[in-house]
Amino acid sequence: MLTVRELSKTYDAKGRRVEAIGDVSFTVAAGEFVCVVGPSGCGKTTLLRCIAGLLAPTSGEVYVEDKVVAGPPDGLAVVFQEYGRSLFPWLRVADNVDLPLRAAGMAKAKRRELVAEALDAVGLADAHSAYPWQLSGGMQQRVAIARAIAYQPRVLLMDEPFAAVDAQTRADLEDLIRSVWARFGMTLLFVTHDIDESVYLGQRVVMLSSSPTTVAEDLTIDLPPTRDQLGTRSDPRFTELRGQVYAQIQKAKQEHT
Amino acid sequence: MRRVLLAVGLPIVLVALWWFASADSTNFYFPPLSKIITVFPATWFGPRLVDDVLPSLARLGIGYAAALVTGIGLGALIGANRWVRALVEPLLEFLRAVPPPVLVPILMLMAGIGDMMKVLVILSGCLWPILLNTVEGVRAVDEVLTDTCRSYRIRGRLRLWHLVLRSASPQIVAGARQALSIGIILMVISEMFAASSGIGFTVIQFKDGFRIPQMWSGVLLLGLLGVLLALLFRLAERRVLGWYHGIRAVQKER
Repeated sequence: MLTVRELSKTYDAKGRRVEAIGDVSFTVAAGEFVCVVGPSGCGKTTLLRCIAGLLAPTSGEVYVEDKVVAGPPDGLAVVFQEYGRSLFPWLRVADNVDLPLRAAGMAKAKRRELVAEALDAVGLADAHSAYPWQLSGGMQQRVAIARAIAYQPRVLLMDEPFAAVDAQTRADLEDLIRSVWARFGMTLLFVTHDIDESVYLGQRVVMLSSSPTTVAEDLTIDLPPTRDQLGTRSDPRFTELRGQVYAQIQKAKQEHT
Repeated sequence: MRRVLLAVGLPIVLVALWWFASADSTNFYFPPLSKIITVFPATWFGPRLVDDVLPSLARLGIGYAAALVTGIGLGALIGANRWVRALVEPLLEFLRAVPPPVLVPILMLMAGIGDMMKVLVILSGCLWPILLNTVEGVRAVDEVLTDTCRSYRIRGRLRLWHLVLRSASPQIVAGARQALSIGIILMVISEMFAASSGIGFTVIQFKDGFRIPQMWSGVLLLGLLGVLLALLFRLAERRVLGWYHGIRAVQKER
């Protein structure tokens, strides 16, 4: 479904070459929920922008549904970290969710149905006519998630979407995204710097090294499919997996310093 | 209520001051305010409303609207394109620095002394603040929002409207506000050179005919028109930038 092959990205910063991504390869199967976790500054966002077709890699390719990515691919949606900047402040919540559907030339009745379903799925059924800036940060990110859902993507990319919300909202949003994934069954790639979050959410965790980034380890999360904040997080297996990821990230950090 | 009182308080005091200070005036050039107000309705609400006031306002409206369309259109084009911007920006800064009234004689040679000339004078003055502000606004469009549009394939007209122009709208409105006051000034000036109708023309006529209270009433009328247009602008702005003021209010609370 989603393949990253020998991807590298170097920047030219004032005559100095900065190798942001060294050599990254991994694949995500259709319908899989994969988390990408790495130390801060390891080029996670760069990697995600390359996958989303917003940034051209220096070498290597990304394939979405066996088609090489050159520009934003069809059927792929992105939820950005900066929810406050990715929603249109001059559009009401429902119009924000609706805009990509209008751009796709979809019929009005169908659009209305998708918008209502998506906002319902994120628990914002009564916020259609609010403006984004009237909502809390967590609710704004829900709107961004609803927009992604309504777009009916086969692949959903999320770039540290919960990094800027408080801990309780974050837990709610984690459960929300699990339920959205279970309900709509898209392929989901979730980038985060939070080790607990990656283990709690994913079926697999791809761990990245420090820059120049490579894949340090690819770990299958063999926790039961139904997860909840209390039960899963107190599961001894969760603690074990979390420790494994933590050790790997620490190791990756030290190798480069 | 208190805000309204504060806003109109000082003008009321000043008008009262003018009224009483000029009440016993025998100076030919500074007639009593009461006299100016007495001649006001007969001067402006007669045939002159149709012959002078409306033509003035129509020329202002056409010139201003043309400046809005050209300024926003060209501004979006220049602002969205780095090369075009680098190429034309020094030129624009120069053109903006040319005082528009100086163009009146040149435009008279080119466009004659009819309505066309006056509309062009207004356009040539109103254009720059709108154009330059649009360029600034369009160039500062948020990157995340731009990425959002690319990802969700929002293109063409939807992109132009919802990303480019709406993002730039606070700056565009600021430019349009400046342009409005420039436009009113140029409306009057363009009628003082070579004209057969208009408020500016009529005021000059009154001056030449030593009808001083009438002349003063023209000044009063222009002031009132300025206030009225500013109020209309404020109403339009509240519609266009409701979201912007909403965000600012929310940020102030937090």
